[in-house]
Amino acid sequence: MDILEEITKILSDILDIDDRNISPETYLIRELGAESIDLLELAVALNSRFKIDVNDDEIFLRKLRQYITKAGQQNKDILQYLAEKIPFLTRKRLEDIITDLEGGPTLKVKDLMAYVEMQRNGN
Amino acid sequence: MKFTGNRALILGGSCDIAITLARRMIEENLFPILTYRNEKGRDYILENMENSPKKFSSFYLEFGTRDSMNSLFSQIGDDINYMVDFVHGNFESLVASADADRIYSYFAENVSFRAEVVKRVARIMLKNKRGRLVYISSSAAARPNHGQGFYAAAKLASEAIYKNLGLELGGQGITTVTLRPGYIDSGRGKEFIQTHSKEVVDKVPIKRALTKKEVAEAILFYLSDSAAGFNATEISMDGGLTAGK
Repeated sequence: MDILEEITKILSDILDIDDRNISPETYLIRELGAESIDLLELAVALNSRFKIDVNDDEIFLRKLRQYITKAGQQNKDILQYLAEKIPFLTRKRLEDIITDLEGGPTLKVKDLMAYVEMQRNGN
Repeated sequence: MKFTGNRALILGGSCDIAITLARRMIEENLFPILTYRNEKGRDYILENMENSPKKFSSFYLEFGTRDSMNSLFSQIGDDINYMVDFVHGNFESLVASADADRIYSYFAENVSFRAEVVKRVARIMLKNKRGRLVYISSSAAARPNHGQGFYAAAKLASEAIYKNLGLELGGQGITTVTLRPGYIDSGRGKEFIQTHSKEVVDKVPIKRALTKKEVAEAILFYLSDSAAGFNATEISMDGGLTAGK
């Protein structure tokens, strides 16, 4: 089973939803309605399934808005700053996130996949 | 008593009540895992549990030393069904005369460190969707004596951590209870009771201190399936000490 399949299975179990509703582009909070307790269970399940360390703040992009504010306060390039702070996401994804902020929490299934890949590779 | 789980982590496993509890756990077919903070504690556990080889294990854990926490969790594995937390550092000082550095280190060891341990155990329990934690607080949390301000504050803060865990994860099968024993004729309390026996008799409505066996038995009950309805709460076990004026 690949990473997407595993994550899909975990999410459908935790959120009690049909796994056909889950793709890499699915928003966890905006679309699936994941709440903080669901995210906690998700972090624990990812740790168990993939044998990786999971930092909840990192994987769920909890400090994203804080980073953006800090970059602004320090007159730094936001994209560059985010790339340093959130190394598991590509620049393209970070650009998309920045333009998508007004719509609400930006976390997508593919972000979880990227985090798992990074941790698996020991980066 | 009926227990759905088997493996029980006992923090502060070298105190007499913990050892009494561990022995009772073995009788109930539970597997206690006792922690100690130094060689003396380790030896004390081994000496007092020698009649039950292979029916328990023991590991080093010193509150305030994160390496010891990492080492503990790398060794105990992913199957912890129960936790009983006896650990608490002593710090007797009037609030207005306490050493400032000691205040910071005391709360780091007794509150922050505990919070991380509880977090890690909770995540292990979440994987199995089951877990029961009993925190051993003190009647001093409700009614401290002079000099017990920091001790009581750390106890109350720790109680809050356990209470919220039960509140947040009760739906996931993880529940908590805080027990507040009063005077116990064991450990730190023993010497006090021996030198202040009249005071204890006068203050406690049942006219005696608790025994370690009574406390261990109560803890075992609160871990059992029969006590599953107790969650996110504090229970006084002090012979009535804190009930009246």
